[in-house]
Amino acid sequence: MTEANRHPIHIHDDACIGCVHCLTACPTKAIRIKNGKARIISELCIDCGECIRYCPHDAIDSLTTSFSDLNAFKYKVAIPATVLYGQFDNATLPNEILFALRRIGFDCVYELSTICELNNAAIAKYIDSHPKPRPLIASTCPVVARLIQHRFPSLCDLIVPIEPPREIAAKILRANLPRVLKIAPTDIGIIHIPPCPAKMVSINFPVSMEKSYLDGAISIRDIFNPIFQALRQSQEDTIMCHLFPETIFSGIGMGTALSGGETRGLKNHRTVAVSGVRDTIRVLDQVELGLLKDVDLLECTVCPDGCVGGPLAVENRFLAKSRILRLVNQMGERTVVDSSDMSMLYHKDFLSFSHPIKPVPDLPLDDDRGRAILKAKRRNKLVKQLPSKDCGACGAPDCRTLADDIVRDQAALPDCPFMKEEK
Amino acid sequence: MNEENAYQQEFQVKGGDFTRAGEVSCEIKNLLKELGLSAPIVRRAAIAAYEAEMNIIMYAWQGRLDLSVTPDRVRIVVEDKGPGIQDVELALSEGYSTATPEMRELGFGAGMGLPNIKKNTDDFRIVSEVGRGTRLEMTFLGNGHKP
Repeated sequence: MTEANRHPIHIHDDACIGCVHCLTACPTKAIRIKNGKARIISELCIDCGECIRYCPHDAIDSLTTSFSDLNAFKYKVAIPATVLYGQFDNATLPNEILFALRRIGFDCVYELSTICELNNAAIAKYIDSHPKPRPLIASTCPVVARLIQHRFPSLCDLIVPIEPPREIAAKILRANLPRVLKIAPTDIGIIHIPPCPAKMVSINFPVSMEKSYLDGAISIRDIFNPIFQALRQSQEDTIMCHLFPETIFSGIGMGTALSGGETRGLKNHRTVAVSGVRDTIRVLDQVELGLLKDVDLLECTVCPDGCVGGPLAVENRFLAKSRILRLVNQMGERTVVDSSDMSMLYHKDFLSFSHPIKPVPDLPLDDDRGRAILKAKRRNKLVKQLPSKDCGACGAPDCRTLADDIVRDQAALPDCPFMKEEK
Repeated sequence: MNEENAYQQEFQVKGGDFTRAGEVSCEIKNLLKELGLSAPIVRRAAIAAYEAEMNIIMYAWQGRLDLSVTPDRVRIVVEDKGPGIQDVELALSEGYSTATPEMRELGFGAGMGLPNIKKNTDDFRIVSEVGRGTRLEMTFLGNGHKP
């Protein structure tokens, strides 16, 4: 994957009929219909996956690591997102799901809820040791990080520079597995199992480190059926899981699959949790206007209700949320992470970003400010001329965006069918 | 570039319309980004515009923001029809506010509005007439062509 086509979101031309559903669903107006097919403008796409959700023809999906890619590694490790525990019925214990992953070919499965709790504790420590600036923004959702880099570049300094749980977990494994197993580091493949395409991008093009500690990602959507089949065929595993619950889970960490999960543990701080991509943009706009200065931590997740609402999850988010909440309640508020362990890792900078997230501002109308002003004026005139129907027939999501494209020399006025008639 | 060639746009703000609070300043902010102004200017202008917009919503009956942008400066003139300010000097001091308890409940009225505008502008003028309204002139200076 090169920088030019860094996005895992893929449009199947044979299935795409060039309708306008994805155009209007895209929160950054990154899609155009060209020659009857949807096309993604790479610089504008933030990998949120809204288009995948809204495409009525299943023409959009996400390229992730394939099962055959995994064969390149002698030792395969899975780090499933805690969202996975909400994808199966209430009778299926998290342990059984981890067992099933081993059955389908992973040599080791690393449970993430404990690391999520560790991450939460590290964020709390960071907030306490940095009284300014405010509000700090949690960076666990890679789409939020990208959104801030591009659309809210001045907010980059507010991002809490603590790596997300998936990277911390992989880093721990990288540091220990080669020694423990006595195998070459390159023979170990560490794969994340996320509910969204964005994690794939954060692995291929990390924003806060040189190279991700993960080797790839297989979406929950892609791995659901193999797990489901393995669960059906493994009666003995079920009994084993019930009688020997070997893995320690963290209720606090489990809750991070839901919106508010990162802020719930912060009892002594003022926190705000936002979910959904449009509401996230709205709140970040407010932060840029100087608001929310009395908030310690702003948690943004672009999927509705948090990661359980990921576009590549299988179960509907309401059921998944209910199951995760049930697990959270069962496991309780008990902490499983030793605070001195956390403190040690925190002070060794084991949990922090390698480098800050850099601003990558969206391109202005023109590099030259004088010309940008002329283009903006011309754009406003065009907006008045256009029919304001926002129908998408021209291939742009709305009239204003068509006008933008025209002044950027990427479209022409006759692209609008109403303009044609008038001629 | 002279004044006639500047980018100019007028934004209306209605007094008491809290549901649309911030929309105008947000639009100004996004516009300045599109015009390629540097991040610090966009930030300062956005914060000052927001404070001015909120002042209209909280205190005035009707008002408008007139934006004018040239390659090296941003100017926002804010005019409102409203009660005006009794003592401008006092209103410019931090912590002074005439906000009602309801406004304070909404998180406004910390007495930072005008001082915050002054802090974020390169040039700031204010004229107010009691019973008629207030006029603010805010200028933000650019720093060359490239942000």
